[in-house]
Formats: sequence, C-alpha cells, structure tokens
Amino acid sequence: MKSLIITLALSATSLSITAQDGQPYIHDPSTIAEREGKYYTFGTGGGGLISEDGWVWHGGAERPGGGAAPDVMKIGDRYLMIYGATGGGLGGGHNGRILTMWNKTLDPKSPDFKFTDAVEVAASDGMEDNDAIDPCLLLDPRGRLWVSYGTYFGTIRLIELDPKTGFRKKGNKEKDIAIDCEASDLIYRDGWYYQLGTHGTCCDGVNSTYNIVVGRSKDVTGPYVDNVGRDMFHGGGKMVINAGDRVCGPGHFGRTIIDEGVEIMSCHYEADFDRSGRSVLGIRPLLWKNGWPVAGDRFKSGTYEIESERRGYSLELAVDFVRMTQERQRFWNMDANQPLVKIENQKLSDVISTWPNGNIGVRTGDYMFRPHQRWTVTPVAEAGGYLGGPYYKIVIEGTDRALTATANKELTTVPTFSGSDEQLWRIEQLTDGCFRIMPKRIPGETGLNTTYVLYSAGDSSPTLAKWDFRSDNSKWNFRNQ
Amino acid sequence: MLLTLGLLSYLPLCAQNPIIRDQFTADPTARVFNGKMYLYPSHDIPAPAGQRQDWFCMADYHVFSSENLTDWEDHGVIVTHNDVEWVRPESYAMWAPDCVCKNGKYYFYFPASPKSGRGFGIGVGISDSPSGPFRFEPNMIQGAMGIDPCVLIDDDGTSYLYWSGMGIRGCKLKDNMTELDGQSQQMEGLPDGFKEGPFAFKRNGIYYLTFPWVRKEGGTETLAYSTSTSPLGPWTFKGLIMAEHSNGCWTNHHSIVEYKGEWYLFYHHNDLSPKFDKNRSAHIDKITFAKNGDIIEVKPTIRGVGINPSTSRIEIDRYDEPGKGVTVEFVDTANTFKGWYATLTDKDSWLTYRDVDFSDLGASGYLIANVKAENNTELIIKEKNAKGKTLAKVKVVCMTEGQFRRDNRGRWMTLTSSLDYIPKGVTDLYITSADGNVSIDWIQFKNRDKYFQPASSGSARPDDQGFIRRWLLLDPIDKPNRSNTVFTDSYLQENFNKEYFANQFTAVPKSGQQEKVEKQVLTWHGLDSERFNVKLFRFADLNQKQIYGVLFWGVTVINCDEEIPNVRLAAGSNSASSWWLNGEQVLLLSGDRRMVEDDGMSQRLTLKKGKNILRCAVINGPGMSDFCVRFLDESGKPVTNYTINIE
Repeated sequence: MKSLIITLALSATSLSITAQDGQPYIHDPSTIAEREGKYYTFGTGGGGLISEDGWVWHGGAERPGGGAAPDVMKIGDRYLMIYGATGGGLGGGHNGRILTMWNKTLDPKSPDFKFTDAVEVAASDGMEDNDAIDPCLLLDPRGRLWVSYGTYFGTIRLIELDPKTGFRKKGNKEKDIAIDCEASDLIYRDGWYYQLGTHGTCCDGVNSTYNIVVGRSKDVTGPYVDNVGRDMFHGGGKMVINAGDRVCGPGHFGRTIIDEGVEIMSCHYEADFDRSGRSVLGIRPLLWKNGWPVAGDRFKSGTYEIESERRGYSLELAVDFVRMTQERQRFWNMDANQPLVKIENQKLSDVISTWPNGNIGVRTGDYMFRPHQRWTVTPVAEAGGYLGGPYYKIVIEGTDRALTATANKELTTVPTFSGSDEQLWRIEQLTDGCFRIMPKRIPGETGLNTTYVLYSAGDSSPTLAKWDFRSDNSKWNFRNQ
Repeated sequence: MLLTLGLLSYLPLCAQNPIIRDQFTADPTARVFNGKMYLYPSHDIPAPAGQRQDWFCMADYHVFSSENLTDWEDHGVIVTHNDVEWVRPESYAMWAPDCVCKNGKYYFYFPASPKSGRGFGIGVGISDSPSGPFRFEPNMIQGAMGIDPCVLIDDDGTSYLYWSGMGIRGCKLKDNMTELDGQSQQMEGLPDGFKEGPFAFKRNGIYYLTFPWVRKEGGTETLAYSTSTSPLGPWTFKGLIMAEHSNGCWTNHHSIVEYKGEWYLFYHHNDLSPKFDKNRSAHIDKITFAKNGDIIEVKPTIRGVGINPSTSRIEIDRYDEPGKGVTVEFVDTANTFKGWYATLTDKDSWLTYRDVDFSDLGASGYLIANVKAENNTELIIKEKNAKGKTLAKVKVVCMTEGQFRRDNRGRWMTLTSSLDYIPKGVTDLYITSADGNVSIDWIQFKNRDKYFQPASSGSARPDDQGFIRRWLLLDPIDKPNRSNTVFTDSYLQENFNKEYFANQFTAVPKSGQQEKVEKQVLTWHGLDSERFNVKLFRFADLNQKQIYGVLFWGVTVINCDEEIPNVRLAAGSNSASSWWLNGEQVLLLSGDRRMVEDDGMSQRLTLKKGKNILRCAVINGPGMSDFCVRFLDESGKPVTNYTINIE
C-alpha cells in the first residue's frame, strides 16, 4: 500500500508550554533541588512546588516560618534552607532577618521530614541601607558557603556561612556588592563568580517589567562588573532574560546543572499570559555566550532540519534520493532577460511511494530540504517530561513515521507513532546553543535513559551513544530552512 | 507539618551568665595559655535513649577560648568516650577535666569509666596546642582512681595531681606528667561533709585547695576552700567561696584563674535547664582576695564579667540586680538556648546594666532595640541611673490606627531610635519606660552610614569618575504617589514643569533659603554627597522629612574655564527624573526606575565658558530615592575639567 499517511490532527495536543505544566503557581522560587528523583522548589509564603518529573508541577512542598524568597541547597546528605522573615516592607518595615535551617529530606511525606530550628545569620535593623530578605546560597569550588541578600531598599550584601552548621561564619563581616537589585543569586563557572539580580517592577501582573541581569567577578567579594565595565554597585548589569513569548516579569534566578554542558535556569514569571496572568514557575535552558549567561528560548514545536554539529549533515530516512527535474540552463548561454520561474520544493507525495512500508533506517547526509529530511517535532501530552521540558515525538513531516530508539542502541523509524517510550525524545538546549536529543527509554533497559543520546558515529551514520559535551558528535541543531 | 519558627542568634556568645549559650557547659576549668583564656568544661547532654534519663550524661569534651571574656570561640570536640583505648565506649561519664601546660606541651586530664574494673580512672591527652588535637595515652594513670582531676604546677616545676575519690586525694606527678610519683594521699584538714571537684592553685605563696562542699545534712553544694603552706597539705579550712545555689541546683564546680590582672571565678548553674539540674552552664564572676589572702565570698550575678562594646548585642535581661519591678523569662521555654528577655512591668520599673563601652560609637550612632509591648510606650535609656543623662527615648508603637492600622501587641519588633546623647568610654546603662508593660530581648548601638556633609566653602570638583556631588537640595515637596507606575512621560512633563515655587527654573538659591510650596515651608540645603550617588531618601530622612511620595529639586552650578563642546549629561535616578541645563530640559528618565550609572544620556551638549546651571527634579512614590549624574565626552570618558560652586 502506498497511501499517504498525513496526520493533520497530530496526537500531540496544542499543549501550552510557555512555562511548566500542571499548576506551577509560585513567586520567588528557590533554586530547584532534587531528592530521590523528585524536584522541589520553594516560594514566598511558606509553600512550594513538587514535580515527579521536572515538567509537571503541583503544590505540596512545605517550609515553616513563612517569610519570603527562600533558597535551598543540598550540602552533604542534608538540605540547607535559607529564607527571609519580615523585612521587604512586609509589615511596614525593612528590618529583616535571614534564617537558615536544615532538613534531611524535602519530601513532606517522609518520616525524616523535620526542619531544625531556624538560626538567624543576618539581619537589617530598618535604619540601614539594607533589607535582609531574598537570600541565595553559593557553595564555591573550595567548599566555602556564601549568601547574598537584599532588595531595592539599599544594598545587596554578601556574607559567609559555615557549611557544616549553616550558621554565620565567625567574624564574617557583610560586604555590599550591588545596589538596586533584588532576588539576587550567586553562581560560579570557570573561574568567574556571577551575581544575578532582578531589576524592574515586581508584583504588577502583566505590567511587571521585572528582568534578570548579571555581572561577574574573579573574586566572590566583587566587584561584579557588567559587559560594558559597569559595577553592579553602580547599578550595572547585562540582561539574562526579560519578557517575551507571552510571559513577562522573569525574576529570582536559580541555576541547575543537569550534565556537563546541560544547564537550566529557573525563575518565576510575574505573569503568564496563557494562564490568566498568574505568577508561574519558569524553566529555560541556560546558555553561556562569551562567558556570559543568557536564557535560551523554550523549544517550540515545528518542522526542522536536524543537523549534526559534527559535519553539518542532516538526519534523514535511508531511502532513495529522488532527483528533481529542472530545465537546464548553461550559464554561458543563459538569457538573463528570460522571466524567472519558481521551482517548487519536492513534496512528500512526490517521493513517498518510493519508500518502503515498514521500518526505515536513518542516516545523516547533505541537507537538500527534501521530505525524507524534514522532521516535525511536537510535544506529547500525557507523556510527562524531564527537568524543564516535555517529551517530544519526532516524525517525518506530513507522516506518522516516528524516530525510534532500538534495543541495540541504534536508530530506526517506525511507520506509525505508538507513544511508546523509545519513540519519545528528550530535547535539551546545551550551554553552547546546540541541542542534545535522547530517547526516553532504550528498549529492554530498565529505568529511564539518562545517558544515551543521538550521536554521530560517522559523518553519515547516526547512532545512540553516551553523552559527551566535549564531542560535537553529541550535538545537533534544529534549523527551519 | 507546621513547626514553630525558632531563632538562635549567630551573634557572639557574650559573657553574660551563662557564658556559653548553644550547649551545656559544666565544671568549667579555665586556664590562661599564651595570653588567652581557655575553657575546658564537662559537656552535659540530655541522656540518649537507653541511658539513665535522670542522671548526668557526658559523651565528650569541647574546648573554648576567648581574648576578652565576652566572645567565646568553640574549637570543637577534643575527644569522645569512644576514642580512648582504656575508656569503656558509650559510658557517658566524662566528668570534670583539666588542662595544663608544661615545657610547651599541653596535658589534658579527664576522668572516665575504664573498660575493665569498677569506678573511674583518669586519663591524659598530650598536644602541642591548647585546643588540640590531643594524642591520648592508652592507659589510665595507675593509682589514681576517681574523677575531677586537677593539676597544680608549682613554682619549682613540680606538678601535683588532685582528684576526688573517697574524699579528695593528691599526689606528686612524675616529670612525664602521665604517672604518679609515689603513693597518693588523702588531703587532711578538710571539713566533714561531701566534697568533690578539687581545684588547687597558688597565690602569693599560699596554696589554695578549693572544692564543692555540702556543708549540712541534706544540703546542696557550696564552693569552699582551705589553704596550706605546702602543696599536699595539711590544709586549714577557711570558709566559703560561694554559698549554695538559691534555686536548689544541687551541684556547683569551679576554677579560679588570674587574667590580665583580675581574678575570676568560673562556676556553673542550671539556668538553661531550670527543671533538670544535671544540665549545667558555665558562669564567670570576679573574685577578690583580702590582704591576708582570704577569699571574699562571691555573690553570683547574671551580668557576669567583661565589657560589652556598645555596638554588640547587649542582653539586658542579664542586668545587675537589684533593679525594680523586672521579670525575666525565657524567649522560648521549649528552647532555652534562645536566652531570656526582661520585662519592665510598670512605669516605675527599672534596671541597670554595667560596663558598656561607647568608644566604638560615633556621633551618628543610633540605637536598635528588640522589644515587645502590650501598649504604645517609650523605652528610656539613661546613663548610670535615674538622674543620668538620657541617651534615647525609643518610641514603642505596637498599635496604630487609621489607614495603615497595625497591631503588633505582644510581637517582637526591631525598633530604631536616634540618640540624644552619646556617653564617652565605659559606663553603665539605666533602662526604664514611660508606661511599663514592655519587654526587651536586647539592645545594640550602631554607627550610621555617612551620606552628606554641609557643602564646604569655595569650589568643589567632580570626583574621579566625574560624578557631581555638590548640590543645593530642597526639602521634599509632598507628592503623595503611592506607586511608581504613574510616572509616564506625560505625567512627568506636566508635574515637572509645573511651578511649585517662585523662580523655580531660573534662580540659584542660597543654602538656608526657604520656599513656600502650598502649605509647606521648605529649605534649601547646600550639601556634599559622601557617595557618587546623591541619596535623596537619606537627605529627607536625616532632615526628618517625608521620605515616600515626594518630589525633590536640586540645583548646582558648573563653572568652566573654557567652553566644553560635545559632552553628554549621563544620569541615573530612582525613580523618575528630569534634567535641565541652563534652563533647557536635556533628559527625562520616566517610569518606575532604579538608579543605574549612565542610565540615560542627553544628546550632545555644550558646557559654556563660565556658569552653567544644572537643575534636576526627582520624583518617587514608595522606596528609596537617589540620583547620580556626570558629564561624559564623545569617547565616554568622564569630564572633570570644571569646578562646582553653589555659593
């Protein structure tokens, strides 16, 4: 049978994937923490979100003490929670307190779930140029634990804690490292410390101009300088993320490293235009460009060339190359005045009859924008996801022929997408802007696949192999051309 | 699960009694090494499951040190009952220790239960440092069965070990400090009654043997002493060092040490465990001697010793008794380590707190007080006594009516107050209130940041980065915006270009000159900013003017020796601002905006030769307000070749 399989109504719904799925309503989310496969983030007010897979989020995380804007970090086998109580103009004053407490687990259903008594590590008295809320944690490469905190009311301050106790390090004095920020965060990468701060107007729904900027320093104590040499202590900062894509007001940065070269940033959007303008959790790829962090775009459904970073060849069905016909014009006797004609793209219907009906293997080759090289990538509802994204199906445009992982860690396509795990693909943008593509599960293996990715064994030969950020064989680009 | 929020202070462990507030510390042996006070206490812990719940329980030792007797550093665990070869693991019997230095080596003596046999033995650890690490002798000291070792090193270098076991015994130690030199002997001449915890020292040629002593049948321990002319007695009983604890705490145990010319008694009490006197905490009080060497009996205080810098947290619940109408309660009865607070119960209540050092507080100092109250009142801080000068009257407002109604009755509030008077040097504080019913956890003095000083006479220059810091600033005009979202371009043009006072866009006012703006009478202030940014919020705050919902005007004069063409005015402001050069608006920064260096730039301008008048208006709703401004040349470099003069 050579019938045309055109699936107009794709099984994937028009899932809104601007932010995360589920009920991801939160303000001032803490850096995402992982515990026994579940993900947690804590927000202002006491509660937080839990996700079984990193994509679908629901309320249920618990934190005592109320107050604002916590951060959480795993240190050893415990989680250190830090948050601000009062201050921030809450209750009328800027006399805030930064508190830390420990828990063996983040799972409120665990019998071990018990926070230690909160300990004050910093305070603002209401008179000084500081407002002790909005703390963040950084464990530097030498194991020293740093906190920055503060709001628009004065300075952002840096203090050091004892990572064993979560108490303020003895004799440590505050250092002012920025002004006119709130919801600051500190991260470290390749010899640089980065301070992220939120600028703009908070808490004004669809009119919130909240945005995240960054400066960097070779020393954790600063000065943190932006891309034009301006100190964050003078208000400097280079944009990391702002409004767009029907969300506005990103604030409260958190960075999570998934693998070498695979990073995400978490934040909240003050308003999700597809969710009544509510404040929601946002997770975006975190890219590094010339030593500066910048938010990647969310991956959008569409039809793409899937191009190898190795050679620039494209993923295609291993089928006959069907030549297109063209009225030849020799350039030495071309009549330049002859009217131009548009040559149509080769169509699926032109070639599909030449394709076998069963499974068809894949290879990589010169991209010629032919039907066997055009892949439609759409999220699959109900298939869940991973930290920051849903699973996708990858099918030949206009067909249901789906890219599939095989038990021997190779690739093929099946004529019809069934929704099984080996046909679901995790797509993550890498810190260098390329993508990695990995099957949810490899047939015959237990557990989800977190290791094997679409990989260029040779220029023309894709396979599945272990993720290696240092090799362009692991990397792909989605191009729509 | 909802857990109550608890607060433990990270701030220094202050030497008010008890001196260590994050763990129990009994039997405090204090020793001075290398000019620093070291403290070797027993470490009471609540008994773990499987141990006798109503008895002393001690698994390890910590060592602490302090330079000033007010800030104590915990150096951590020296040893646990599972770390020493001869000690029975999990025996929880690490009684009172001692540590001495001989020939540069530190010898740590401690009692514990031996693996074999009954009773207690005494072990030794040796280190090059008073805080360890210690290397422990595999065997206990042969011939010394008991607890509470104490070592006296005599002037000739001979060392003696004392301990408690069937009375108090003593013996010479060999030079190696780890073996008895001969047979131990019972100390003779001590009074009848239960005795333990010997502490021996020598002062002015007199040997003192001091010890906890139950002087009457069914009583509790006092601290008592005997003296002798030789280290092993016989002893002459002299009397008490400290009477029984008034609350019934059964034990006491102590050490006596000279430090920086003063003598101190370290002892213990169960303040942090009022219902269980086997969890104890170390105290310090001064101890004095009569001319003949007799010890003057010490009355325990909660103030303890040491001078508090005024800029440290002063826990006035550790006041000097008597005081009047003062009650002291735990901040959290479920976690006594959070300490206490004092309540002035009525308007006549008062207390005094001794020895606060104000030498670290400058003229801009202010007071922070952590208080709670049941009614609006004033907390009054005076120097020395009721007749002393008043430092501050802190307004304690726990209830407000009207638009911003607030009810903080019974809640802890961190309040601040400016100071009417700042004492010099070390003095005592007298604390009372206008109405009573007010509780204080702590107070602290603090130096205020510097923002401005009056403009000096003559000319100023822009700073190295070109920022213009000399300004005439007008007290803020009331402009009651409750949000910055109204600061659209058209709103600003309307409100910035409105005339609020005469000659608003033309005159250069004089410092001190006043303007009438509707009902307000506002003054111009000639100021030099201490910072690159002019903190308008602090300008208003320091002049006790309205800080939110305000419009500021500023004027300054740029004097150029020659024309400077092709420069840009570079400004940042919080929130919106407008800038006029020589009467012409050159920049408008609109919206809800934070102050960023070089946020907005004018088009290219020419600074003319001679006077150029620069004017700005900054408007803000809630939040801090400030601006920074400079001129940049075509290549982005700061322009600095002019002077600034507002006279």
